[in-house]
Amino acid sequence: MKAILNNKWMLPVILALMTLLTSALLMFSHEMTVDKIAAIKSENKLASLKKLLPANLIDNDLIADAIDIEEPVLLGHRHSEKLYLGKKNGQITVMGIPVTAQNGYSGDIDLLVGVLSNGQITAVEIINHKETPGLGDLIESRKSDWLLQFPNKSLNEPTTNQWLVKKDRGHFDQITAATITPRAVVGAIKKALLYHQTWLSANAEAFKP
Amino acid sequence: MSEFIRTRLLDNNAALVQMLGLCPLLAVSNTAINALGMGIATISVVVVTNFLVSLIRPITKKEIRIPLFVLLIASVVTALEMMMNAYFHELYLVLGIFIPLIVTNCLIMARAEAYASKNAWWLSIKDGFFVGLGFALVMFAIGLMRELIGQGTLFTQAHLLFGEWGHHIELTLLKNYSGFLIAVLPPGAFFALAILVAIKNKRDIKKSQDR
Repeated sequence: MKAILNNKWMLPVILALMTLLTSALLMFSHEMTVDKIAAIKSENKLASLKKLLPANLIDNDLIADAIDIEEPVLLGHRHSEKLYLGKKNGQITVMGIPVTAQNGYSGDIDLLVGVLSNGQITAVEIINHKETPGLGDLIESRKSDWLLQFPNKSLNEPTTNQWLVKKDRGHFDQITAATITPRAVVGAIKKALLYHQTWLSANAEAFKP
Repeated sequence: MSEFIRTRLLDNNAALVQMLGLCPLLAVSNTAINALGMGIATISVVVVTNFLVSLIRPITKKEIRIPLFVLLIASVVTALEMMMNAYFHELYLVLGIFIPLIVTNCLIMARAEAYASKNAWWLSIKDGFFVGLGFALVMFAIGLMRELIGQGTLFTQAHLLFGEWGHHIELTLLKNYSGFLIAVLPPGAFFALAILVAIKNKRDIKKSQDR
């Protein structure tokens, strides 16, 4: 056995065997976990949708009724995103608007903004970001309550030109030692609200009460 | 403290003396809790990989040992990450972001090459644990320094690691502190590490003079 192992022709064989073994391990663990991970992901998505779109305003299937939109200019999208429509008795009551802030500190920040039909925000969720841990990532709701200043706000309250962080003479708190991230997020939420207005007037006919 | 442990924790500390794994050490040490999370993740990974590298000793030949280790470490860590994501999702949310970073930690390669590939599996596990611990302690110290100087707080976001009671150990030591940004940003990590290395070297010099 020892003699065979020491043969120089064995080296590639050992490597090949090991590659086979580790690939098998990876395939096996992928196979074992892929469904579970997908389930957790969609569960998390539903949970965050529930926060944005209050259950008492909705009687439709959010996932099935979502429509694909791609608005590189208005919402900063880089690829098509899902626009969620919450309806009650066939009327749109609340929308979950996906918006991407391309001006974050490092990389894009993906948000989902829940907006009632009167233009008020229900809640804002950060879907994805790569901001500095300990600084910019305080926009995450599980890390600080910074995002909690947005519910119930609209383009009237504060007024449109007040949709800035305080450092830019606007209405909203920034985060100490991180201005760029909150600036980007506030700007993105404003974009979502503006989009909501245009979308509603453009689609007013289709969803008339 | 036995010689075995002291070498690994102090005299030949992976971070302070060997300067291994600087990338995660400097990148993820901006708060004490981040550092602690990364430290725990590093310890667990280096223990597992040391064990496995030790197990494949019979087929590890000098010429192909590096690709073998890389193959083994990368795939085991990836598998661990997937398992964690699926079955310990809460833990994954906390440590998950650190795991892919760990694969690149040369501390792990160094221990595989220098120790685990030459020693029995129980010794390799012990070695992995104490080397990892030495690394984690330095990382935690840097995290404490950077968080205190940079933000005037300690253990913010502890609930991410310890659950709800973590809120009780979150401290704000300096009230109305405006922050010292450079300590939180990457340069702060280099300064903090330099201070620790200087203290360690001072101690070493003093020790050799006493002798």
